[in-house]
Amino acid sequence: MAEALLELTDIRKSYGAYQALKGVSLSVAPGEFIALVGPSGCGKTTLLKHVAGFEDPDSGFVTIEGRSMLGVPPADRPTRIVFQKLALFPHMTVAENIGFPLKLRKVDRAEIAAKVEEMIRLMELKPEYLKRFPKQLSGGEQQRVALARSMISEPKLLLLDEPLSALDVKLKKVLQAELKRLHRMLGVTFVHVTHDLEEAMMLADRICVMRAGRILQVGKPDDIYYRPADAFVAGFIGETNLIPVEVQAIDGGGARTHVPALETNTMTIPAAQLAPGLERGPALMMIRPELISMLKDGGAECTMPAKVQEIFSKGGTVQYRARGPQGLEMVVELPGTPEKPAAIGDKLRLGWAERDVFLIPKPAEAG
Amino acid sequence: MTEDTVARSWSDPALLWKALPAVLLQTACFLAPLGMTVALTFQTTKSFQLTWTWNLATWTDVFSRAHYWTTLLHTLTMAGLCVALCIGLALPVAYALATRLQAFKNQVTVLITFAFLTDTTLKTFGWAMFLDRTGVANYLLKEIGIDTGGASILFSDWATMLGMVYNLLPFAIFTIYISIEAIDRALILAAYDAGASKFRAFWEVTLPLCRPGIWAGAVLIFLLAVGVFLEPKVLGGGKSPMSAELIRQTFETRVNWPLGAALTLVLMVVSVFVVLLFSRVYRLQRGRGLL
Repeated sequence: MAEALLELTDIRKSYGAYQALKGVSLSVAPGEFIALVGPSGCGKTTLLKHVAGFEDPDSGFVTIEGRSMLGVPPADRPTRIVFQKLALFPHMTVAENIGFPLKLRKVDRAEIAAKVEEMIRLMELKPEYLKRFPKQLSGGEQQRVALARSMISEPKLLLLDEPLSALDVKLKKVLQAELKRLHRMLGVTFVHVTHDLEEAMMLADRICVMRAGRILQVGKPDDIYYRPADAFVAGFIGETNLIPVEVQAIDGGGARTHVPALETNTMTIPAAQLAPGLERGPALMMIRPELISMLKDGGAECTMPAKVQEIFSKGGTVQYRARGPQGLEMVVELPGTPEKPAAIGDKLRLGWAERDVFLIPKPAEAG
Repeated sequence: MTEDTVARSWSDPALLWKALPAVLLQTACFLAPLGMTVALTFQTTKSFQLTWTWNLATWTDVFSRAHYWTTLLHTLTMAGLCVALCIGLALPVAYALATRLQAFKNQVTVLITFAFLTDTTLKTFGWAMFLDRTGVANYLLKEIGIDTGGASILFSDWATMLGMVYNLLPFAIFTIYISIEAIDRALILAAYDAGASKFRAFWEVTLPLCRPGIWAGAVLIFLLAVGVFLEPKVLGGGKSPMSAELIRQTFETRVNWPLGAALTLVLMVVSVFVVLLFSRVYRLQRGRGLL
């Protein structure tokens, strides 16, 4: 990997007895768009504050462009943050808001005005908005002003703390596209905190999944989606089927696996389809709902009898919930068609390819 | 939006009708005594008896004697200085209470409430004892090597000012505290993030955003300070009376009600004028009916 722009090394942070970050290491390359995702309280925002400089770690290092950032105040870091609630200054006009960082840097007025113009054009805001106040703008426009204010001082790293979470779905889509466009145009590194997985999948080059102060997995969206590190990541990112299996032996060729719920219940899963750290014993076979098909006749490598319990039409896709052997709840997602291939109560067989499965460790009981 | 709803509720005729009885009562109770006061100023007193004869004698008296006006000027100066001192002292205190002492928010609120509840007379006499020739203040000054030569701090304008600031300070702390507390913390963080030092963030963000609190405190204190009579009497020793004391004397000691009423009106008109001037400047400063 090229020289990292941002390097977090074993960051630990506690607030009283509560451990917010329990040893987080992450390295971000220049120009990358990385998304930090996880349930609320997982430490993603806390981590972002460490990068921005609002918090200093109890132990560990924050390095930006090879320079240690410990004790460096936010003002002196090449980072800018876009807050969840945007935090536009209500007593300043749009132009004053956007130009504020330059005013603090004692840039002369004419230059600030020119830069503000430029940002306004970049963010596709109307020039007449410059004299208005943030309250007089719509949510999406305020969002653009907040972005413009963050970008004007040309930071190396733009930190986004769930800035889109308060917007309605339609506007969100527009601004997501906008973020992607900005990222491509400016080449600035984006660190985007979100709990919206779809957003993370759409925007990010890499996704970092966090839980309870730890990073569970960092990888490309497809890796996270199809090759999750554990059951939590698998369940957190999209819907999934987890079938209990027994790994009998692992060697260079793969894992000999016994799957009680399948019709052909012994198979060898290639090594590339095993989660790191997988060991002999109980494990889970993951298969995504859209990779399963309903078999009329004939077969597939993995097959299972099931009875349709519920059908949810989502428009573009239709989701079938079926009960397999041993009370296993299966989710199947097929492209939507006017004629549904199955009805509630139908008994049928589900089938999928062996190359589409991924074996992950069985999570420890109760915790 | 919010502006619309505010505008609508004011211009809604149905609402006005409903409020009419209350509005009438309020107006009557406010206007009637005011009318009486105005009427009084055109009468004269003869051997401590009010005679109902309409003339301008009182007003000629008011406008021809410099003493009344120097007293008024003195009052306004004292009130203005008191406002400046109160705001200047209250700002850092309120800022500290609203930011650094967040953990003790409840205790702080109780303390501020107590400051309001304690009787002003009691506090003022407390100061009188403290500042007296044989009081603690002189003793302490002597201890640190400043010999006042037995002179008393009490019975001076400084003592008056001390009492006024002491008694009125809670109003400023309270209004400013509330407005600083209402500021979203994220705005301050955003200022730091944009590259502001602590001072710059305070100057550019906190101060402008708590201006409504500062102005509210200033107006409140000014109006109260213009009307003080306890402090100039107890702490100032009545040496340089302020308008309120002058008015009291005119009514009670000289039993000259027309003159007292006239002096009251002058004080009122001037005070209202100053407050209007205040708010005019304030609006110009804001420049834009926001906040």
